[in-house]
Amino acid sequence: MSSHGSNVDPKTAELWDKSHYQHDVISTRTFGYFMYLLSDGMLFATLFAAYGVLSYQHSYSGGPTPADFVKPWYTFAQTMALFVSVLSYGLAMNALKHKNKSGVINGLLAAFVLGVLFLALDIHDMTHLASSGITVATSGGMSAFIILTQVHAAHVFFGLIWILVMMAQVLAKGFTTDVVGRLLTLRMFWHLQAIIWVFVFVFVYLWGYMS
Amino acid sequence: MLVDLAGGWNPMLGRLAWSQIPYDNPILAPLFVAVVIGAVLVLGLITYYGKWTYLWKEWLTTVDHKKLGVMYILIGLVMLFRGFIDGLMIRTQQAWAVGPHSSGVFGATHGYLTPFHFGQVYSAHGVIMILLAATPLLVGFMNIIVPIQIGARDMAYPYLNALGLWFTAAAGALIMISLFVGDFAHNGWFGYAPIFELQYSPGVGVDYWIWTMELLALGTTLGGINILATIIKMRAPGMTWGRLPIFVWASLASNVIALTSFPALQVALALVAADRYLGAHFFTAGLGGNLMLYTNLFWIWGHPEVYFVILPAFGMMSEIFPTFSEKPLFGYMTMVLASMAIAGVSWLVWLHHFFTMGAGPYVNSAFSVATMLVGIPTGVKVFNWAFTMYRGRLTFNAAMLWAIGALFLLLVGGLTGMMLAVPAINYMVHNSVFVVAHFHSMLLTIVYAIFASVIYWFPKVFGFKLNEFWAKTMFWLFSAGTALVFVPMYMLGFMGMTRRLDYVFNTAWHPYLLVMEFGIVVYTLSVLAFFALLYVSVRDHASNQVGADAWGTSRSLEWLTHSPVPFYNFAVLPHVNARDEVAWRRDNGIDHVQPDHYEDIHMPNNTGVAIVLGGLTFVLGFALVWRIWWLCAFSLLAIIALVIYRSFKGDPGYIITAAELEQMEKAAMRREARIGKQQHRVGSGVLGEAIAYARSDLPSLASQPGSTGGLDHRS
Amino acid sequence: MSHGHDDPTLHPEVQMSTSRGYFSGFAISSILMFVATFLVASHAVPPFGLLMVIAVCAGIAIIAQIYFLLHIDVSEHNIWNTVALVLFMPLFLITIGLTWWMFSQLYLRTMIMPGMMH
Repeated sequence: MSSHGSNVDPKTAELWDKSHYQHDVISTRTFGYFMYLLSDGMLFATLFAAYGVLSYQHSYSGGPTPADFVKPWYTFAQTMALFVSVLSYGLAMNALKHKNKSGVINGLLAAFVLGVLFLALDIHDMTHLASSGITVATSGGMSAFIILTQVHAAHVFFGLIWILVMMAQVLAKGFTTDVVGRLLTLRMFWHLQAIIWVFVFVFVYLWGYMS
Repeated sequence: MLVDLAGGWNPMLGRLAWSQIPYDNPILAPLFVAVVIGAVLVLGLITYYGKWTYLWKEWLTTVDHKKLGVMYILIGLVMLFRGFIDGLMIRTQQAWAVGPHSSGVFGATHGYLTPFHFGQVYSAHGVIMILLAATPLLVGFMNIIVPIQIGARDMAYPYLNALGLWFTAAAGALIMISLFVGDFAHNGWFGYAPIFELQYSPGVGVDYWIWTMELLALGTTLGGINILATIIKMRAPGMTWGRLPIFVWASLASNVIALTSFPALQVALALVAADRYLGAHFFTAGLGGNLMLYTNLFWIWGHPEVYFVILPAFGMMSEIFPTFSEKPLFGYMTMVLASMAIAGVSWLVWLHHFFTMGAGPYVNSAFSVATMLVGIPTGVKVFNWAFTMYRGRLTFNAAMLWAIGALFLLLVGGLTGMMLAVPAINYMVHNSVFVVAHFHSMLLTIVYAIFASVIYWFPKVFGFKLNEFWAKTMFWLFSAGTALVFVPMYMLGFMGMTRRLDYVFNTAWHPYLLVMEFGIVVYTLSVLAFFALLYVSVRDHASNQVGADAWGTSRSLEWLTHSPVPFYNFAVLPHVNARDEVAWRRDNGIDHVQPDHYEDIHMPNNTGVAIVLGGLTFVLGFALVWRIWWLCAFSLLAIIALVIYRSFKGDPGYIITAAELEQMEKAAMRREARIGKQQHRVGSGVLGEAIAYARSDLPSLASQPGSTGGLDHRS
Repeated sequence: MSHGHDDPTLHPEVQMSTSRGYFSGFAISSILMFVATFLVASHAVPPFGLLMVIAVCAGIAIIAQIYFLLHIDVSEHNIWNTVALVLFMPLFLITIGLTWWMFSQLYLRTMIMPGMMH
């Protein structure tokens, strides 16, 4: 029966699974979550596309441009806060490998504190802008600048809530399959924020400052 | 930060006020009364028959992919009906309001709909048909069929699956409530800048449109992730990539599109919301905004989206043609490559929706060439289906008729699409009803494939077949309606009639519009035939029972398990040995070999969290539309709290023991043996030629379950 | 097939973490961001060249992070993540690139201002 694309002999073929086939719960979870993160990446790609179209000279409608208010070293401090936070999370994952509960909790705690620092710097920056009269309503270019950076900040905010939840779960439940799976997905989420931030920092803040 | 509104607003109710209820509207007010009576009647009947517990336990809290799929399809059919009514209203207005002497009623100068109301009707028609009818119907079929076709017990994430359904339901509820509270958008289903800006559309209609679409985008993205992970991670042993049924390949390609493109829609609409709620200037006409940026962002999603809906339809056709031609699908590998090619090229064509933007010859020619490229894989598919039928043993039952209808419409829609891909022609017919007729041909291809699939897979899900006579009657009425509505529409397009006219100035077009009106009446008859089909089939369900292989000539893995499919799908997961596993087993006479022993199965528990989350997102959407900020904050916090609660609680699942399993399996096999005998007694006279059990050229199903069939086989 | 089912911390995706990898990813991207910030803040290089330099910095930092932090490689447990990322990559470029291209062409034909590209 070549038409079935099979050359298995029907007389000896295995018809029912005997291998006690069970799928890998953790990698199924992390793979699905990775796909979600990629679609989140597409969300940022679309925002970058919009930012690109709305960062011409005329997009600022004669008003302030990023070159007027971006402070490269201030934003670099934000960058370092996020990077060290991500590093702490990585070290927490290393502790997880050795089943070191206090190591995981300390790593998560450090990641949380540094994430809060990042967010505080961002909020300070935004309130400073608002106090000098620059908001989303200023011009199309400013709308694109503020929305793009604040969508990233919103991601960090939800990541922080999630880190708190995971600290509670590690303390309350220990390293169950669910908790470990969630720590792995949160790892991807948190690291992705650093990756997106590289784009935001270089192509929105630094480039905006240059032009 | 938030923009000031022109109209009234108060902290408690936001923009909500009695004046927002259109109780004086001569069309909506009676409809509202009818809906209330209908709802009270349905709820009363459920209470009277004491079905609330059943409904809650078996359906509303289920995580079973088949039941979720059935509910998706139900939402899709209900919304298809609503969208059809909108279409009927549009056609009637255009047949009526022709020329300066046409009469007007209900406050309209011509016809019976005011321009603002007419705008809402065609906007709702588009949103509903694409995102709330076609999408849930297709997602429903993918939900039901994909896990069974790859030999899995459930989706990769059953709880997420339920969540996706309830987000879709919440979006459907949001668009339905816009009928009676406030109004809907009047900017077309895809929206235009700057008419949807607060300045030009101060009402809540655009907000309803934004949040409905956002919810649908969210639900579809979640569903897409689920189906992709299921296909990649959950295949049964032996189900290699080269053995996947084409419907699964098509679902894979389709959900790759969904996963990658829906974020663009979410961004496009979120930026509209930023303009309307925060006073941003993304798409405004001044202060540095860019009108065409919206159109661009929308169609980055919009064009992949149309392939997202057509690819599963292609997959369905690829399952139905081989079954009723009694031949394997012609060109399996080219079919797979064609699906993937369509998914890939879908990302390079979106500018053809706005060739007239004026981006210049380089941009237009690049996108024109890319658009024409789509014709190649689609042509490959059409020829593959034709060669599948060529010299096959064709059975012209209702499912096959619908599938052939889909093939013809695909040709018409595809060829006119090739015409539109030429910018020079596109400039001539842009925004004319020629374009409308083109994409209706394409979307009707999907509708045809969906009705073919309803007939084809209905017995798998419910264990009995639909009535052939009424299914065929519906097909012929529907096809007559299609011809009568869309052939004149193509002609009017060439004559220069533009789309979305609430008043047709040119009386020379009147005869065509009247033919179209007659066509929509024929369509209405086909809708009635559909209701008759459901009624008659359910009434006669005892005599329409089928066994595992409902059509007798089925090929893929879903026909291996019982009909109706047990909630655990397969008592023992099959080991796949061939591309068309069921056909292979049948041809080798080993299709009745049953597993010799059972083992415990681990299944997920039902959960009420998903439906509550769906309800809360509906509340959130409603609060955002009416700008009731405290309710927004409350529902958002409740959603976060509930997600965290669920995350702490987890789901340990439950075990079906081997003994319970054996009992259920034996019951299913007894049922099948009984049906097998019945089929022989009844013969083929009553149920039409499609019944294969009585055919001498195929192995009989009447043999004892568990027996080894034609070959000496020890499993 | 069911590895690490009993002890989830033995799952290969947990076991692939190394502090050395995390420190490498951190160090490479931090240094590159420092260089980019320094060059931009001090206006050391002419604008177009500077844009190229910081774009290269960003590119290397991204690759380092994806490799060291997200563990994207072709090993058995990451292959599907890698496949998904590789399939997405062209789409990111298409979305951003084609949009920028079509609007630069549009502005070229509809805007009066010359030489507006930043």
